[in-house]
Amino acid sequence: MNRQEFLATLRKELSGLPQEDIERSIDFYSEMIDDRVEDGLTEEEAIAAVGSVDEIVNKILSEISLPKLLKEKVKPNHTLRVWEIILLVLGFPVWMPLLLAAVIIVLAVYIVIWSVIISLYAVDFAFVSCGVGGILGSLTYFTLGNVAAGILLIGVGLISLGISILLFLGFNQITREILLLSKRILLSIKSCFIRKVDAK
Amino acid sequence: MDIQLKRGLLDVCVLAAIKNEDSYGYQIIKDMKPYVEISESTLYPILRRLETAEFLTVRTAEHSGRLRKYYHITALGLKRIEDFKKEWNEIMSIYKFISREEDGNE
Repeated sequence: MNRQEFLATLRKELSGLPQEDIERSIDFYSEMIDDRVEDGLTEEEAIAAVGSVDEIVNKILSEISLPKLLKEKVKPNHTLRVWEIILLVLGFPVWMPLLLAAVIIVLAVYIVIWSVIISLYAVDFAFVSCGVGGILGSLTYFTLGNVAAGILLIGVGLISLGISILLFLGFNQITREILLLSKRILLSIKSCFIRKVDAK
Repeated sequence: MDIQLKRGLLDVCVLAAIKNEDSYGYQIIKDMKPYVEISESTLYPILRRLETAEFLTVRTAEHSGRLRKYYHITALGLKRIEDFKKEWNEIMSIYKFISREEDGNE
């Protein structure tokens, strides 16, 4: 791949981003290639050193915010004509609920993710409470003179605490995986916006 | 290394690379190389982010018949480096405490 091809591929992959962002990325990467060539590398080597287009696009995508991407997608590429405005106004009852639904679905997904995380820690908290409650509660048995029940309660409390510690470690791991997964989902949502424009 | 931690560190590294004199993309990568390897695709979003945060400004200058972008650190950027050093002192004393604990167990 030569310099021209590389930059053309990059431009194609980035289409869907705001025009200014595209130009800036292209400027940046072409400057990088030029500087490496000036440093004594061949054009091929310089392009290989700059990295793959996929990697570049992924890094740019993970930085840009979803609303900015959406705005660019919705922005008309010419000024609206009168009949288009009329159509938009008349179509309001149709597109408004659809838009609202889309926003609510995204919101719901976030709530579900956080609910799972919160419920995991709630379970853990319950075990901790059992443990602490059991150990403290046993004191009343001891004061009442029922030593056997007191010891039993302490044992149960300690078991609960033990379980809670093990669960905490596991839940931390699960939470980390969930957050990573949600990040990956966001990235794939973003990239499908870019590709859609590309296919047009 | 933890991604969030590394991200924050690299931001300050890039600021440090342009601290003494204005620099350009490839020079920044070369200057950082002995200490930390950074790829173009990593550097680009960092520069954009720092520019948006007004830690640096960009100017375009001609260099052997083509354009090159030079990055200049702002007062805010210099302050960010100083803040980082202060934060780091705190982190270092925490680190010392953690290491001391380990030595004690041996």
